[in-house]
Amino acid sequence: MKAIIAATILGIVMMFAGLQMKNKSSVVTLAIVLAFLLLGVNIWDLVATPATAPVGYFNNMLRIDRYALWFSTLMTGVTVLYTLLVGKEIQKVGVHVAEYFALIFFILCGVYILSCYNNMLMLFLGIEILSIPQYILAGSDKKNLKSSEASLKYFLMGAFSTGILLMGITLLYGATGSFNIVAYSFLQSDALNPLALGGVIFVMIALGFKVSAAPMHMWTPDVYDGSPTPFTAYMATVVKASAFFAFIRLFQVSFGSISSQWTVVLSVITAATLLIGNLTAVFQQSVKRMLSYSSIAQAGFMLFAVLAVNAVAWQGIIIYAVAYSIATIGIFTVLMKLKDYTYDGFNGLAKKEPLLAFVTTIFLFSLAGIPLTGGFMAKYYVIQAVMVQNQFLWLVIFGLLMAAISVYYYFRVIIAMYFKEGNAELHAPVTQGEKVLLVITCGLVILIGIFPQLLLSWI
Amino acid sequence: MNILMLVATNTPFNYFPVVLQLVVAVGFVVVMMAATHLLGPKRRTKDKLINFESGIPAIGNARQPMGIKYFLVAILFVLFDVEVIFFYPYAVNFKSLGLEGFYAVLLFVAFFFCGFYYIIKKGALEWED
Repeated sequence: MKAIIAATILGIVMMFAGLQMKNKSSVVTLAIVLAFLLLGVNIWDLVATPATAPVGYFNNMLRIDRYALWFSTLMTGVTVLYTLLVGKEIQKVGVHVAEYFALIFFILCGVYILSCYNNMLMLFLGIEILSIPQYILAGSDKKNLKSSEASLKYFLMGAFSTGILLMGITLLYGATGSFNIVAYSFLQSDALNPLALGGVIFVMIALGFKVSAAPMHMWTPDVYDGSPTPFTAYMATVVKASAFFAFIRLFQVSFGSISSQWTVVLSVITAATLLIGNLTAVFQQSVKRMLSYSSIAQAGFMLFAVLAVNAVAWQGIIIYAVAYSIATIGIFTVLMKLKDYTYDGFNGLAKKEPLLAFVTTIFLFSLAGIPLTGGFMAKYYVIQAVMVQNQFLWLVIFGLLMAAISVYYYFRVIIAMYFKEGNAELHAPVTQGEKVLLVITCGLVILIGIFPQLLLSWI
Repeated sequence: MNILMLVATNTPFNYFPVVLQLVVAVGFVVVMMAATHLLGPKRRTKDKLINFESGIPAIGNARQPMGIKYFLVAILFVLFDVEVIFFYPYAVNFKSLGLEGFYAVLLFVAFFFCGFYYIIKKGALEWED
């Protein structure tokens, strides 16, 4: 709760700082300091809240438990890392630097609400707070037509999916007479109201849109490709992860008891997401576009956690969210340094900047799920969650097959860096500080791969 | 069975008046449109097909770029107008909400003025370039 208030106030502080501070780099420094402050508030919240007793706010519309607090803290930590790594690039996007950071703080406010909502209205509010700043950030490069297109496309499609979400909430309310997500857990499979079932499907479609699950993924490549790269890095990581957390919270807490009714639909969505994400990524020429398809493919793996209604799934989604976010932010940081976003732009990077090429390799290993990296452990946990459920074995096999395909397009970048001749052109030489940060990020990826329990120690 | 009985029991039949009204509403439109098309005479002249602009001849194309300033001011107006609407329910419940409600509204107004100060400082309301 403290974090929600803090994120809002810090966002407003950032807005007003933009009026006073003319120097862009001092705005970035302020943003980094405020992000650390927000992380501090989150840790304070985490320590001050007792582990056993969840606290309810606003007539129990928000219910803050251990999972919510820990997830919020982790996502704030990822945001701190993001501001450190990408802050300099955000300066180059446009003139309203302070506003961009303010919008990121507002997105974090939405992340916190989505991690602890206990009421469908709060889910709606959280999704809107999460999405609206993104529509603006997607179009922040005003002179660029692709950026404007991304913004408009995202806005229109997002508004439409919100309509579907509201329709689903309405149907659920009509069936049960309640907005409280715990009230839905008394739904019974054998005597299920068709209204409730319709509501579940509508909500699934709307949340599937937010996490870019196929066939609701159509907006993702254009929006991720068109948006300024620093903001794509944020959309593909923290935002997507927290939409997943909202997804799993609703479907485990509320609809866990009627899982036999919706898991078949969701398993088909998962399979389609894996198939479309991975196969289309193979044919991309631009690494940025490949990463946006890869984010669809990774969403397919995160859907495994939603599909499996058990405790391992919660651990899986937390590990997956963090491992995937850190690796993706890392690879986007490297991508932003390059002039050419195609695979050829990476040619010969290993000779020119050996360290940059090395950390990129580790990040790509993690995304592909090679052992000793965070991505491997993340995939391990979500697949284990489905295995514990002892259903959908075909989906696990299919997922492993798709993971093998993903190795192809991730390794194309590595091959370009190490085995192809060329002169990878950079915007600016990589400074010592950036190298240290990238090595730390790389260390985190390996740390999660070796000790994934660290991420579960607080829940 | 009288009409009160119909309302009291919860059956799908309760919605029958709604369906009836829908049928009448859609049917009225369809019948009227079809009737005018079928019965009315058709006279297409050049003068009849041009846009009507208060009786004077049309000048130029309507699709011209227009100043974004007007749009911005209009959006800000809508924003603040909607925020002011929140005062009406507060005014109705002024007594029952008590001091706590008053503080809540004060906080709301404070945020509201933060936004107002921000847009003025940003120069959103400066008409001249």
